Amino acid sequence: MTDLEIWIVIGALVLATATARSSLWLIGHHINIPKRVQDMLRYAPACALAAIIGPDLLLSPAGYIVFDLSNIKLLSGVAATLYYLLRRNMLETIIFGMVCFTALRLA
Amino acid sequence: MTDPSSSVPTAAMDRHHPQAWREAVRTGMPTLFGIAAWGLVVGVAMVKSGLTVPQALAMTLLVFAGSAQLAALPLIATGAPISVIFLTAVVVNLRFVIFSALLAPHFAHLPWRQRLLLGYVSGDLAVALFLQKYPDATPQAGKLSYLKGLIYPNWSAWQVGSIIGICVGSTVPPEWGLGFAGTLAIVCVMIPLVAGVPALCGVVVAGAVAVATFGMPYKLGLLVAVVAGMAAAMLVESAMTRLWSRHD
Repeated sequence: MTDLEIWIVIGALVLATATARSSLWLIGHHINIPKRVQDMLRYAPACALAAIIGPDLLLSPAGYIVFDLSNIKLLSGVAATLYYLLRRNMLETIIFGMVCFTALRLA
Repeated sequence: MTDPSSSVPTAAMDRHHPQAWREAVRTGMPTLFGIAAWGLVVGVAMVKSGLTVPQALAMTLLVFAGSAQLAALPLIATGAPISVIFLTAVVVNLRFVIFSALLAPHFAHLPWRQRLLLGYVSGDLAVALFLQKYPDATPQAGKLSYLKGLIYPNWSAWQVGSIIGICVGSTVPPEWGLGFAGTLAIVCVMIPLVAGVPALCGVVVAGAVAVATFGMPYKLGLLVAVVAGMAAAMLVESAMTRLWSRHD
């Protein structure tokens, strides 16, 4: 890809992001979402976050599902989840999870 | 002095509210480490896929969409058509349409330029944390300061991490797994959102579908997973309501 093409791609990414994030903000008062859809949207953020992390926790770099003790991301993720449920502290949880991950990686 | 008979004017409601600002900064603080680490990973990835330093800097400062950037990089490296890259970014970003449908009604009264900017910098974590504090769109003093208190540090942490990543480039060993800190940050934001059985089912289904559909082109699986998760949560919710009403 040429230099110019990469700059055009950056512009396209700006446009794509602005369309997704800001268009409904600009429509503003005119959005009138039905009650049923609103109820459904309440679950959207948690589902989207789960959809982002699911593949990172369960898939190997080659794209295979790894659901056993050799999956150190999954193990560290489960440990971090339990830690968060007990302590409710995000920074401690991230450090705890990274320590688990690093310890398992070096073990 | 203020006139007690008049309702609170919107301008007063949007005035800087130091208490809400501080609370938001405190709430978002623990996520910043994860955000910066995630930014660092994307910064390194940009340089490694052949972008020059000015291009990488422009991309991080202007685009500010980690997952869309990460999705676009392999396509740039293989010389995919610009239309395909654009489509990929739109689809990866589609979840923000859902997020902004939830967030925008809170700020519909603001000038359009401000709405454009606020919408543009509201990432995943900021939306989730804001909606945890303000679930419904009724006007309330301090809301705007709270949102700003979440998104400004979030944006800054991302940029600091990303710029460090661009500068150090390939010297960080990939086996350190720094991107995992971003995943852990998302775990911590997601758990409080999972209140009740329907949300738990939704999250499990969304995660599983995202894994099953990971190979779909243009990261479409992400969107399929969100829709499947929401549908599962709604089904469980209505099944539970029916069950309760039968017992009454």
